[in-house]
Amino acid sequence: MKSMTRIKTNQRLWTTVFFLAAVVILAAVTAAGILTEGYAVETDFSQRNLSPSRQHLFGTDWMGRDMLARTLSGLSLSIRIGVLTAAVSAAVALLLGTASAVFGGKADAAISWCIDLVMGIPHILLVMLISLACGRGFAGVVAGVALSHWPSLARVVRGEIIQLRQAPYILVAEKMGVSKLQNIRRHMLPHLFPQFLTGLILLFPHAILHEASVTFLGFGLSSEQPAIGVILSESMQYLTTGKWWLALFPGLALVLVVTLFALLGERVRRLLDPSSVHD
Amino acid sequence: MRKGWIRVLSAFAMTASFLAGCGGDASEDQPAVRQRTEDASVVIAMDPNSEPAAGFDPAYGWGAGEHVHEPLIQSTLTVTNTDLTIGYDLATDYTVSEDGLTWTVTIRDDVKFTDGEALTAEDVAFTYNTVKDSSSVNDFTMLDHAEAPDDTTVVFYMTRPFSIWPYTMANVGIVPEHVYDSASYGADPVGSGRYILKQWDRGQQVILEANPDYYGEIPQMKQVTILFMEEDAAFLAVQAGEVDLAYTSATYSDQEIGGYSLASYASVDNRGFNLPAVEEGEDSGGRTVGNDFTSDVLVRRAVNIGIDRQEMIDHVLNGHGSPAYSVCDQLPWYNEASEVEYDPEGAAALLDEAGWKMGDDGIREKDGRKAELNLLYAAGDSVRQALAADFADQLGELGISCTLEGVDWDTAYDRALSDPLIWGWGAHTPMELYNIYHTAEGSDSAEYSPYSNSTVDAYMDQALASGGLEESYKLWQQAQWDGTTGVTQDGDVPWVWLVNIDHLYWVRDGLNVAEQKIHPHGHGWSIVNNVDQWNWKG
Repeated sequence: MKSMTRIKTNQRLWTTVFFLAAVVILAAVTAAGILTEGYAVETDFSQRNLSPSRQHLFGTDWMGRDMLARTLSGLSLSIRIGVLTAAVSAAVALLLGTASAVFGGKADAAISWCIDLVMGIPHILLVMLISLACGRGFAGVVAGVALSHWPSLARVVRGEIIQLRQAPYILVAEKMGVSKLQNIRRHMLPHLFPQFLTGLILLFPHAILHEASVTFLGFGLSSEQPAIGVILSESMQYLTTGKWWLALFPGLALVLVVTLFALLGERVRRLLDPSSVHD
Repeated sequence: MRKGWIRVLSAFAMTASFLAGCGGDASEDQPAVRQRTEDASVVIAMDPNSEPAAGFDPAYGWGAGEHVHEPLIQSTLTVTNTDLTIGYDLATDYTVSEDGLTWTVTIRDDVKFTDGEALTAEDVAFTYNTVKDSSSVNDFTMLDHAEAPDDTTVVFYMTRPFSIWPYTMANVGIVPEHVYDSASYGADPVGSGRYILKQWDRGQQVILEANPDYYGEIPQMKQVTILFMEEDAAFLAVQAGEVDLAYTSATYSDQEIGGYSLASYASVDNRGFNLPAVEEGEDSGGRTVGNDFTSDVLVRRAVNIGIDRQEMIDHVLNGHGSPAYSVCDQLPWYNEASEVEYDPEGAAALLDEAGWKMGDDGIREKDGRKAELNLLYAAGDSVRQALAADFADQLGELGISCTLEGVDWDTAYDRALSDPLIWGWGAHTPMELYNIYHTAEGSDSAEYSPYSNSTVDAYMDQALASGGLEESYKLWQQAQWDGTTGVTQDGDVPWVWLVNIDHLYWVRDGLNVAEQKIHPHGHGWSIVNNVDQWNWKG
């Protein structure tokens, strides 16, 4: 029995360690990307199309730009956009989800209709549409991703709150005269927090991939920016001539970051989930 | 979400499929190729953008517009020779009245459309009156109307003198009045040219067959199949031995494919930056016009001689190009005074003279302002992007700090009024000089980049009003540089020209591609201008 507890404690410890490691890695990538941003756009035509070597771990592209620096800046840019858009999306989701559940009636119908509307349009299409309407570039992508990713989380929040409203302790609080807003703030939100945080973190990979996708398709970030989508779409032209490193490393790095975020969300859920709190 | 994954990861899928497939050699489909050799048939891969969206109707841009070429299916009155002077196709002679307002062209009387009807001056007049009314890609405002006094004479009445009318006549394919219907002609053209449109599968291919009743030299190549494919697909098609000739670019030029060689044709397909020649301000439409840095002519001159064009060609084009000094290098109306030597010291001296002194950080300064430029390029064009990057690097060495920005064409024209944009030009008509340098009607500046010089304008106006082509060539040359003013190094330099991009093709061994006239802008139909003279060896 004792050893069981130790293993379980260790699991929780491991989860925390993994969580911290993931955060550190992502933060390091972000910082490194910011630092190498200048180098990433620097061209050196004497070093064109080099395959990976010690000087250029990820090789160079057709303008002699270092692919490692480009990959790092691209990831960094993606992560920053991901964080920004996920935060905006989550805030919208929280606001609308709560409003929908608390006010009910017409407000609920209107918000649910919006959720259905946004979810009814294929995601990538919606992102492209909004991005295009906002003039592409950084602003376009952020608007596109932020305004298209809130519905699923909003739905979770709404469902959760509707359930909470019927919870005995909320009913008691209401009976005792606690105002609606205070009830939300003091009693509902803390309960909602774990699901919300997990949902928020799980928004990152979505946001990052969608940013990369629309940029790849030419509806996102501008081609002079070292974004992963730009790197991948540029590389397409050179694949048939055997320059595999242009797509492979940046692509793998993107997948790794996205996976890391997904795992991070999973760990957060485990750490916060009341049912696993005794593990 | 899944769609996002799929799209982004398609890059890997391509890598994987490439890695799996790169073991095999170019496997020639020998029997098919032998058959083609015997039948005098050729398969050509062309850029999908070359497919004429509105079909093969001269009134809707076939043969004309930005990417000029011979219409093949239709005859034209004149043609451009290999040295870009004017020759005859249907025409047997032309004269122009003293005032330049009436052109009289006599035509052959032995020409039949492929439906058996004779081609008469009526058809010619009908064609020109039709294109004047409906052409959206070519300018026909100089033409008032055309008339056919008899079967072999056509008279053009002009609204203004236009000495280079023979160059316009070289682009307009003659359509038959008796069957022409603007709704269906594009997909089902009847002409009198060297080839007949046999089949057109939109988005895929065009099959042309030699016209058996052609009045000129019998086409040697009996069938021409043109496949529209992207550059990488064309490259793979060559590797698979499926096409006989395919367009390609410098990106692929270091590759070797068994059974094919790389053919490189000189072009006037140039790339250059506009340098706004006035100080920054705002026009009536609220657009920013002008650039404080490039408005100084000394700065523009410094840029023009401070660029090592050969280095640019080696870096970006793998050596497949030639230095460009004007929009019309090597054409009959080119003025050799445009040529400049690379002279970085001279450029530095000019910048010093202009007051731009080298700062401690390697960037020049004047009155506390840094020498900075934001260079624009068309997003998605990797060659222009690389040329712009190399240009920026070279300007950096002169102490001019540059940033790059990819823009779309829907905003590029407006943005270019204040920031240098990398353009591509090069047409088989001197009218391009006019379009770029002449003050636009009703404004005080040229159309694409703020600049105006009344002397230059006057030469071009005179050139258009002159009596003969030879005389007009001189005036076009004087518009570029007359000894005291112009658009060259010692003049105003409102544009800096960088390179002419050679047009590259993979050509199957054994295919004789006839001598090409200098290719214009657009890497498309100009290669098949003389496909009738191609043949297979042996």
